[in-house]
Amino acid sequence: MKTGRWWDVLQMRFRSLAKRQRVETELDKELRHHIELQTEENIAAGMDAREAREAASRMFGGVSQIEEECRDMRQTQYLDNFVQDLRYAVRILGKNLTFTAVIVLTLALSIGANSAIFSVIDGVLLNPLPYPQAERIARVFYRSASYPKFPLNPWDFLDFRARNRSFESFAVYTHADMQLSGADGDPVKLSAFRISSGYFQVLGLHPANGREFDFLEERPGSGNVVILSDRVWRNQFGATADILGKKVLLESQPFTVVGVMPPGVDHPGNSYNSVAYGDTVDAWTPFTFDGNSNNRGSHYVEGIGRLKPGVTVEQAAADFNGLMTEMATHHEGDKGWTIYMVPLFQEIVGPVHKMLLVLLGAVGLVLLIACVNAANLLLARAAARQREIAMRAALGAGRGRLVRQMLAESLLISVLGGGLGAMLAIVGVRALVALLPAGFPRLDAIHVNVTVFGFTAAIALVTGLIFGLVPAVQASRTDLQQGLRDGGRDSSGSGRQTRLRAVLVVGEVGLACLLLVCAGVLLRSFVNLLKSDPGFRPEHVLTAEIALPDATYKDKTAVADFYTRMLTNLSALPGTRSVGAGTDLPWTGYDDNMGGFTIEGKTPPPNEEFHARYHTASPDYFRAVGIPLVRGRFFDERDRKDSQRTMIINDVMARRYWPGEDVIGKRITFDDKPKESDWFVVVGVVGDVKDKPESAGAEPAFWWPLMQQPFAFRSMTIALRANTHPTLLAEGVRNVVRELDPSLAVAHVKLMDKIANENFSTPRFALFLVGLFAGLAFVLAAIGIYGVTSYSVSQRMHEFGMRVALGASSGNLLWMVIRQGVLLAGMGVVIGIGCALVFGGVLDSLLYGVSSRDPLTLMGVGTVAVVTATLASLPSARRATGADPMTSLRAE
Amino acid sequence: MSKPSDLIQGTLDLLILKTIALQPMHGWAIAKRIQQVSKEALQVTQGALYPALHRLEQQGWVRGAWRESESGREAKFYSLTKAGRVQLDKELEQWQRLSSAVVLVINATQEA
Repeated sequence: MKTGRWWDVLQMRFRSLAKRQRVETELDKELRHHIELQTEENIAAGMDAREAREAASRMFGGVSQIEEECRDMRQTQYLDNFVQDLRYAVRILGKNLTFTAVIVLTLALSIGANSAIFSVIDGVLLNPLPYPQAERIARVFYRSASYPKFPLNPWDFLDFRARNRSFESFAVYTHADMQLSGADGDPVKLSAFRISSGYFQVLGLHPANGREFDFLEERPGSGNVVILSDRVWRNQFGATADILGKKVLLESQPFTVVGVMPPGVDHPGNSYNSVAYGDTVDAWTPFTFDGNSNNRGSHYVEGIGRLKPGVTVEQAAADFNGLMTEMATHHEGDKGWTIYMVPLFQEIVGPVHKMLLVLLGAVGLVLLIACVNAANLLLARAAARQREIAMRAALGAGRGRLVRQMLAESLLISVLGGGLGAMLAIVGVRALVALLPAGFPRLDAIHVNVTVFGFTAAIALVTGLIFGLVPAVQASRTDLQQGLRDGGRDSSGSGRQTRLRAVLVVGEVGLACLLLVCAGVLLRSFVNLLKSDPGFRPEHVLTAEIALPDATYKDKTAVADFYTRMLTNLSALPGTRSVGAGTDLPWTGYDDNMGGFTIEGKTPPPNEEFHARYHTASPDYFRAVGIPLVRGRFFDERDRKDSQRTMIINDVMARRYWPGEDVIGKRITFDDKPKESDWFVVVGVVGDVKDKPESAGAEPAFWWPLMQQPFAFRSMTIALRANTHPTLLAEGVRNVVRELDPSLAVAHVKLMDKIANENFSTPRFALFLVGLFAGLAFVLAAIGIYGVTSYSVSQRMHEFGMRVALGASSGNLLWMVIRQGVLLAGMGVVIGIGCALVFGGVLDSLLYGVSSRDPLTLMGVGTVAVVTATLASLPSARRATGADPMTSLRAE
Repeated sequence: MSKPSDLIQGTLDLLILKTIALQPMHGWAIAKRIQQVSKEALQVTQGALYPALHRLEQQGWVRGAWRESESGREAKFYSLTKAGRVQLDKELEQWQRLSSAVVLVINATQEA
């Protein structure tokens, strides 16, 4: 029975749609029939024919209204009316092309910008990592009072792996690039990691061919095996099918290939000598545990684990902390550490999370402003259309119908804007990805996809509703009689609308000011960064990296000898001013810390130890990099292998550990029971270089001379300061290295100012985008001010004419109009700056040397807003001065 | 003349359904019948009647059919569907519950 009813309903709906003509005729006929019967009854009651007919009609009321109501009952009228409304909307919008173009373009720009930023957020923050059940993967670090994130000790790892109850699998890995030779072409440096067994199990990945490492391969001397990336297998080995079991030459030693990974294996990122997250690793070799298992003092492996189902990171951390406490009772080296565990996802996207949300907020504000702007323009037009709307209401259009009609227009606008915006987003995302700062995670996950288009469509529709509803409801309230009588001039409705529009403009200016404050403080922060002294001179310096295989360069003497010979040959290259080698370059990230050394005659504060960043440098390293000497001397030929041991420290270290003393000649040792020859004498103090340009201050650091390095630093960076253009020397560097050892790869040949520049890419990116958004917001706000003043001038032309007749000068009129614009902007400024004071704090962590409440910026923004308001109201003001007193007088 | 808003919401539907439950009728006859039966107390305006009829038709409670009327003209006669009969019972029951509840309240107030 129920189905019978629904069948009836469906038939009715279909009939109403498909046989509209017939349904309409029948409706008409039905109502006419009623009137006829009523007329007959009236006649029977004694009226004459005409009178009877009129009385029947009167009693019946408005036929068209009843018809319309009956149509409403069909439920299909929404579709019908919608198509009708849409047609009408196209006609109306087509007639006002400039108006339509302004709204559609501003919407398209802001929708496009929103979609572009959203696609970055979608790819980076919303997309899960490309590992099965990635939410169960966590990174494991140590933490102490001075080191918030520190690598693990390999022997500790073995204990954790054997005893923890939280992880399904737990592994460690450490960065160790390898040189591949003997394949097709020149030797290449492979980005490589040493991994414990179970590493790929943690990630949920499996070799496409071959197998993962097993426990046995973690024992020292169990034979050299390697797993290759798909990329290396294809590019270096021609994708040969029988690669498994073959021997390849890595670091001049034969390694047996036991596996090849599938394409697109994403490295989960690492903190120490970091390799970016993504498809960045080429080879994996087993991590072997050799040496004394009681040595818990050295930390260099990074932990990663897959949690058992249902176990949280907090529970796992508590489990590990319990083990850590217990281990510390057996091993001195395990004291003072706790566990810091963080979900892998957070570890990867954490650094950009804040910035992306700030950008989303900024671009969302732009959309809001565009919305307000569109509502404002539509309101202005609704005012102009008051007469038309009143006419339609008089002809029987219900209020709902009027609102729907207006909404159809705004939806049409927003759909056009959304479509155009989607196209802009496609272009914008490409530009955005090209602009993204160096080291930005998950770049290849950023696409314009279905989700992004869904987002675009959703915001287009929602904005259409928002900016359409206000003017639509407003217009439908039009007082019928008044609207018809004076066609919208000076009606009370327009007073209400003017007020509403003023409020909208104030809001617009306020939001734009908020954005401009953000852009302003980001700009000041950026300028501060650029102005701050880097502590080195990156111009005209060429850099390159070299790694010596330990098979051929067995000890630190062999390593030091090679670098000394190489530097001698390099300095002979024409155009070279100075050339040096060091373990690293400024601003490339430095994480190695030496703790627990002894300073002669000093004791560290309780529960602390002396610590400093450690490096090795050749004699001319500081000259080549441009780090100045503060006192003492640089390294030179006096610092030989067998001479007095020396070191250079930085200014921070000198001031921190020897405050107010002359540090030259002071001594440090790394031995618990030092002989006389174990002491290092400070011979020089060099200027400070911060870890990154935005770091609060430099950290203590020291350098050993190349010839006296306490252990072999096989990977070194060459810095070559040139007289001419440094790129011209790149080929010379390669030749020098090839002459000394043809099996060596010269990697990462770069200009140092480029490396330095990459450090500014994040603030530059944020500044550029927020600046762009703020600019867009201001254009929109200016349009809003122009719109309101222009409308109010057209309403007041009559009044202005009277004023001229009464002796007002054109200066008076000009000022009256401009004052209106400036007053609106002024209120907006107050609101915007108020918001900036309240909410600006979220920016502070992105700022350097300036607060989000920077008074200079706030004043600047206020000035810009007032100037903009003046300029935006100028055209209307000039029009006001053209008011003709005669016209006004005649009208009176 | 009582405006539709004077009738309790949904009462008009009940009146229409009840009226055509006896035999199919056209709009004018329905209005007349309600007027007569209620002894002129209830006057259904056309502005309320026709939209209501069309709504009931769209909802599948009543069905309209064109045929010749007693006066020889083509008229649209509304009759109850099966579903409409069930609906009528439901509405009657509801109405009785409502009206007896109202009576209870009124009597209680008078006693007090």
